[in-house]
Amino acid sequence: MSASDSAESFSVKEAFKWFDVRKRDPGMWAFALNRLTALGLVFYLFLHLVVLSTLARGPQAYADFLAWIGSPVFVFGEWMVVIAGLYHGLNGIRIALTSLGIGLPRQAQMFYIALGVAVLAGAAFGIRMFR
Amino acid sequence: MLGDKPAPKDGENFWLWFLKIFSGLLVIVLLFVHLAVNHFMGNQGLLTFHEVVAYLSHPWVAAMEIAFLIIVISHALMGTRSIILDFKPAPSLVRALNWTFLGIGLLSIGYGVWLIRVVIYWGSGG
Repeated sequence: MSASDSAESFSVKEAFKWFDVRKRDPGMWAFALNRLTALGLVFYLFLHLVVLSTLARGPQAYADFLAWIGSPVFVFGEWMVVIAGLYHGLNGIRIALTSLGIGLPRQAQMFYIALGVAVLAGAAFGIRMFR
Repeated sequence: MLGDKPAPKDGENFWLWFLKIFSGLLVIVLLFVHLAVNHFMGNQGLLTFHEVVAYLSHPWVAAMEIAFLIIVISHALMGTRSIILDFKPAPSLVRALNWTFLGIGLLSIGYGVWLIRVVIYWGSGG
């Protein structure tokens, strides 16, 4: 397919189809979760870079910033980032392996393992973070 | 579908696709180090400004954090570009997107390096 053909066949409905996981196989869930976590992590990455500018303003500004983000709302947000990072990283390892042709017939099992470990490790982090 | 081998999509160069996956693996390694140090070093991690300054003042640490910054931003922008390609943008828009993302990447990396230098400067009594 040429680039111009691609441009002509654009459809918003088609582009957002990846998000519709109803009656889909595990692959669609793996793909949709990978994308959702990716978008969340990209947002967090740039937010993280912006807020770290408080470091440039010295010790007091940084101390005030740390006190501000210690509130439960921010801790919950950080927990979401941890869970998203865990899933995205573990699923990313699956994608990297299968891109090299490793474990292709066992992709579904690898996805369930990635999801399971992300949930369990996420719970462990949650216990530590909200303790 | 699970079982299919992942491959570059329309408009995605093979090497860029490969770099996206490879940088993702590097991000996992460097993120593990970054998080372990920032949250688990000492008693409860780097909690004060002076602890952050002392940490970043070590040349190897600063080099690792800059490498992490470059790799994570590259991976994030390549991934975002890949998602946008699903909307099948016109070639002219893809070109504009490439330059925009290149600019965002360079600015972000430049800002991050500047910030690390400022923090190290604080440590040197600045």
